[in-house]
Amino acid sequence: MIPSEQGQAAKPVSKYRSQFRIYVDIMHVIQRENNEAKPTRILYGANLSHDRLTKYLDELKNLGVIQENGIDDKTYSLTQKGVEFLNNFRKVESFASAFGFRM
Amino acid sequence: MLAPLWFFGFDSLMEFIGFAIASAVAYQALKGYRLSKERTLLYLNLSFGLLGAGLLIDGLANLVVLLVRFHRAFLFLSAFGYTIDFVAQFLAYGLLVFAYMQQTRNVGAQVPIAAAAVPVLFFEHNLVTELILIFLLVYIATHTAMNYSMNKSASALLVFGAFASLSVAHLFFLLFTLAPVFFPFAHIAQLFGFLLLLAMLLRVNHST
Repeated sequence: MIPSEQGQAAKPVSKYRSQFRIYVDIMHVIQRENNEAKPTRILYGANLSHDRLTKYLDELKNLGVIQENGIDDKTYSLTQKGVEFLNNFRKVESFASAFGFRM
Repeated sequence: MLAPLWFFGFDSLMEFIGFAIASAVAYQALKGYRLSKERTLLYLNLSFGLLGAGLLIDGLANLVVLLVRFHRAFLFLSAFGYTIDFVAQFLAYGLLVFAYMQQTRNVGAQVPIAAAAVPVLFFEHNLVTELILIFLLVYIATHTAMNYSMNKSASALLVFGAFASLSVAHLFFLLFTLAPVFFPFAHIAQLFGFLLLLAMLLRVNHST
């Protein structure tokens, strides 16, 4: 389970992404890059600043959904847990969207 | 107004099927909530959990009345079942309306407060209770229709079809207060609505 940001009041059409949504966006970018994405690709793909990207990549690594490969030329890939999480997320997103709820 | 005698038993069966489908939708919403902590999915879970509970209690109450061959001492169970089902549906659809309103703007807690104001009496099918449910269902059906018009997905169409069908079902329940012939049609429309939700669930779980 990946936690989302707590303490949000009623949300109108939010212009800010939740922490959960950012996690999913990062994982989507990695998957789109044939499961081997460089930090710069993730940074542009998920539309994040360098500091925030570093923070979120560390959090995702600690959750065990992505792994770091290489030493000098770093890349990131999804773990099996990460792939399963993304598949489950797609089902949940599709279910919520059928009712007209945005995630 | 008495329902056609030949239909007793079938109504309970249809409500048990509705209970099973509503529980499946509630479970899917709970799984989604656990994964994403998205509050609207929690509302969806509570809403369909309530719908399922109402259908189960009403179905069981009517089945007991049938099994004791309409013994006078047990007839109150029918009104008891309907009352529980009405309150459950009122809260369930009210919660969905609240979720849709919350998505577009901050509405505070008007709907739960309105729910608390409903007096607990034993109802039979009547114009007022059915009109309340039709009002809530038409609001939800309108929202799901707008959702379908925007994303054009088959799942969104199935959800819209389900709520449109449930609205028609309650229109028939309302007409049943005038003529018994509408009672079976109401239950068939209600079952059809839940079957459309089942189709949506199957589609969502097998499409990825």
